[in-house]
Amino acid sequence: MDIRSSLAAQHYAATRPATEPKPEPGGQGGDFTKLAQDFAATLQEGEQTAMAAMTGRADPHALVQALAQTELAVETAVTIRDKVVEAYQEILRMPV
Amino acid sequence: MSDLLQTLALSASGMTAQANRLRHVTENIANADTPGYHRKTASFEEVVNGGQRTGEVQSGPVKLDRSDLTRIFDPGHPMADETGHYDGSNVDLVVEIADAREAQRSYEANLKMFDQARQMSKSLLDLLRR
Repeated sequence: MDIRSSLAAQHYAATRPATEPKPEPGGQGGDFTKLAQDFAATLQEGEQTAMAAMTGRADPHALVQALAQTELAVETAVTIRDKVVEAYQEILRMPV
Repeated sequence: MSDLLQTLALSASGMTAQANRLRHVTENIANADTPGYHRKTASFEEVVNGGQRTGEVQSGPVKLDRSDLTRIFDPGHPMADETGHYDGSNVDLVVEIADAREAQRSYEANLKMFDQARQMSKSLLDLLRR
C-alpha cells in the first residue's frame, strides 16, 4: 500500500461528516433553551423580590425564599458549567 | 431538585403564617386593657390553587374569642354601670405568652426545614464538584 499525503487527506475528508454537529430535531437547542429561560426567570424573580423588599412592598420571607432559590440556581449553573468546561479541556488534552 | 425547591416555598409559607399569628398575639397583648376588647385567634388553612392542594399554609379568617369579658370593679370609670363594674377585655396574658412561644417554636421548626432543604441541595451539588 503506497502512502501518500493525498490519500490521508481523502480519508480525513471522508470522516468529517461523522463529527459534524447535527441540528437538534426539536428546533434550536430544544430543552437547553427552556432550561436557560427558566434560569433567567428565577434570577429575574429574585431581583424583583429584592427590589420590592427594599421598598417595603414584599414580605422578608418571600425575599429570603427568592434569594435562596436564586443562589441554588446560580450554583447549579456554575457547577454544570465547570463540569462542561472540564470535560472540554479533557478532550483537548487527549493525545492525538 | 424541584422537591427541594418546593420545600423552600412550603417552609417560607409556614414562617409567614407564624409571623401573622404572632402579630395577632401582639394585638391582643396591646389591647389587654382596652374595655370591651375580644381577643383575636389566628387560624390556619391549606392553600388550594385551582382545586389542587399545594401543601402550603396560609392564615385563615380571624375569629374573635366569644368568651365572657372580665368585669372590672371601678366606680370612678366613665363606663362603669350602677354596680360600679365595667367590661374589660377577655385577654389572658398567660395564654397570649404561651401562644407567642408556640408561634416562636413553630417558626423555628420551619426555619430548620428551610435550612435543611438548602443544605441538602448544596451537598447534592457538592457531589458534582469533586
